[in-house]
Amino acid sequence: MATPLIELKDLAKDFAGIQVLKGISLSFERGEVHGLLGENGAGKSTLIKILTGVYSPSGGEILLDGKPIHVHRPVDAHAHGLGAVYQDSELAGSMTVAENILLGNEPSRIWINRRNIRQEAARIMQEIGLDLDPDRKASTLTAAQMQMVTLATLFHRRYKLIILDEPTARLSAGESELLFKMIATFKQSGITIVYISHRLHEVKLLCDRATILRDGRVSGTLERGKIDEEVVTQLMVNRSSADLQIENHGHSQDRVVLELKNLSTPRLAPLSLKVRAGEILGVTGPLGAGMEQIEKCLGGLSAYEGEIVIDGALTVIRNPGDALKCGIALIPEERRKQALFPSLSMAENVSLPALSRLAKRGLVQGAAKRRYAEGIIQRLSIYPNAPDRPIRYFSGGNQQKAVIGKWLERQAKVYVFVEPTSGVDVGAIRQIYEIILKMAEAGAAIIVISTSVKELLALSETIMVVHDGAVSAQLPRSGCDRDGLLAMTISKEANPKVNMVVSA
Amino acid sequence: MSTSSTGAVAKARTDIQTETGTSAILSFFRRWGTILVIILFGVFFSLMSPYFGTVSNFNNILFSMIVSALLSMGLTYVVAAGSFDLSIGAVVTTTSIITALLIPSIGWIGATAVGLGAACLIGAVNGVLVTYGRLSGIVTTLGVMFLLGGVNTYLSGGYQIPVDYNEAVFRFLGQGRVGPIAFPVIILAAVFVCGHVLSTRSKAGHYIGAVGDNPMAAYYSGISVYRWVIVSFVLSALFSGIGGILLTSISSSAQPVGGQGYLLEAFAAVFLGATILGKGKPHVLGTLLGVFFLYMVSSGMNMIGISFATRQLFNGFVLLAAVGANAALNREEIHLKFI
Repeated sequence: MATPLIELKDLAKDFAGIQVLKGISLSFERGEVHGLLGENGAGKSTLIKILTGVYSPSGGEILLDGKPIHVHRPVDAHAHGLGAVYQDSELAGSMTVAENILLGNEPSRIWINRRNIRQEAARIMQEIGLDLDPDRKASTLTAAQMQMVTLATLFHRRYKLIILDEPTARLSAGESELLFKMIATFKQSGITIVYISHRLHEVKLLCDRATILRDGRVSGTLERGKIDEEVVTQLMVNRSSADLQIENHGHSQDRVVLELKNLSTPRLAPLSLKVRAGEILGVTGPLGAGMEQIEKCLGGLSAYEGEIVIDGALTVIRNPGDALKCGIALIPEERRKQALFPSLSMAENVSLPALSRLAKRGLVQGAAKRRYAEGIIQRLSIYPNAPDRPIRYFSGGNQQKAVIGKWLERQAKVYVFVEPTSGVDVGAIRQIYEIILKMAEAGAAIIVISTSVKELLALSETIMVVHDGAVSAQLPRSGCDRDGLLAMTISKEANPKVNMVVSA
Repeated sequence: MSTSSTGAVAKARTDIQTETGTSAILSFFRRWGTILVIILFGVFFSLMSPYFGTVSNFNNILFSMIVSALLSMGLTYVVAAGSFDLSIGAVVTTTSIITALLIPSIGWIGATAVGLGAACLIGAVNGVLVTYGRLSGIVTTLGVMFLLGGVNTYLSGGYQIPVDYNEAVFRFLGQGRVGPIAFPVIILAAVFVCGHVLSTRSKAGHYIGAVGDNPMAAYYSGISVYRWVIVSFVLSALFSGIGGILLTSISSSAQPVGGQGYLLEAFAAVFLGATILGKGKPHVLGTLLGVFFLYMVSSGMNMIGISFATRQLFNGFVLLAAVGANAALNREEIHLKFI
């Protein structure tokens, strides 16, 4: 066999002593579509970030056409023709599709010839089967179209390896079809595609080979035709790390706190559910399959139809302020962007929602604020105990605790956690789980939205799986095991291995 | 934000599709609205005053807006690149003083060259500080503005510097006439044509626009982002420098202060210009029309006897209306930027 396009040799990466990649050896052939599968935290995203120059590897090497290359910065990756298409494409919104495709590679030297650009872009788009008006402004495109335009730019720049990270997460079925056709064209012109997805049917359909990562190692590579649910699940499941030994023994009371009646959005089929006081409902499914819609509706970030009933009272949530007022606390995934003020101190961050209570005659009492913050820091064992340090200097886990800490004293009725432990170091995960369980014990209704099966099994009392914008299964925690739940998240038809599927 | 509101965005898109009737009218106003307003004002003043709609008044308006127009066109590049330049007013004065000081010793050609060179240098310093120095554009150029204020007073000693009456060629730059047209207006037209071609037809203009729109996309497209930001600052300073030289020639002297007055006009013109032809981003042609509008209204109001205070009030109102219209036409999903 010829030299593979990219060969990874014993690639390792650790963050502050914690090994995330423990020696990955893997090769990507020219013109193949290579699937990459693995649970959350198995090392997929770290691997991509190394290939695209976001992280530098701490060991091992990357060979391109048999020669070792160094990729330390994103520009290096681009120079070597390694690129990735993320869900939020980077396009210049006020420029046309054609201008975006050829940006930085205009056919002439000093002057810009719009007609040339348009013709060249139209030719490229025809070649890869993308049907779009080249004169359309990029800002008017849908997310899917933007993604495809980004693909066209990479194609035009003769990229050798293109990584697609959950490309269909935001696409409709028709758009996905189009994407698959484009992938076929890319393949024919010798471009290697690394296809990351939680959706097994896509991987089966598209990929020549699929590699399964588990716990920072390659757990197996399957050829086309041998990729099936059972084998993949077996390779994915990481038995050694099931040792968190946390389990929700059930704190739910009879009182229903949150009830959704036929809640729907354009991307979510009508959904009804009840969460009782003390209950933790775990929601999972492939990325972008609709579970994020639940959080958006409850957090006031998205318009919805249907009814949200809290403590028996019908509520209307139009914006994040409404959500707070009726007792819903949303702890978002992108905490640095959406929940924290990176330059403010830990004390200021955690006491922010409580300021009105800490104020006397309209003035915030500095000492009271500090006492309040210290109380929270202690209760959540935030480390280091440095209330005055800007929060951006804390680790991911401690930042997450701070976000929880913000809402601790507000005593919301409903807590919605989104990927509560993403980017959190292993040590802090357990602590965060314990905090969440304690909140349930205290009688809060909690929804945990997560793509990590491990997480849901540790936390939930009830588990719901969402596929294609609709609930595909809802069952008690006791009704499913690890393998079963994993199979259900990657494929709609899978059974939890026990016949307890209750329709939503 | 884009990830957190996909649902709402999708909804908004379908709304747009169902309202094609109203959106046709909307897109017409988006494109021609500002120009329509300019024409309406022109017609209004012509009806109110017999002297307004004359060739000589048109010439007057053009002549009075020269320096302001040059500054504004230069500023357009910086705003297009996504930054701010508050130093342009001070650059006018600095160039003017340097040129006037040097004319007696090295002649007008040398003096002009040194003056423009100094302007470009200031622009380059601004650009380097904003990019490699990682300073904010507003603060950097504000600092440079104060700094130049000091330099200007130091160089001029606080007095005006006269240009010798015998410098006929130099004075022709600002005071000469070709037929009925003032020579500086011809220079303005030439600079405009170059500036317009540069911004619409050249890679420089294309890349400056790309950088201002989405620097990350530009970076990943292999565009040297810093270079084009610096180029935009150099262009801005160069245009201001040309303005400074014409100002020196027009008044046969350099004033130690006074350039700052042009700064706010320039910002008004750039943002007004961004609404012209519905571009929603600064462009040179729009900026020129914006300056023309401000000076035309000023002249018209002057003719029908409206006080200076009212004119200022009006200018402020126009700027707010223009920016407001722009914001209404380019509605964002969630508005959380307050720069």
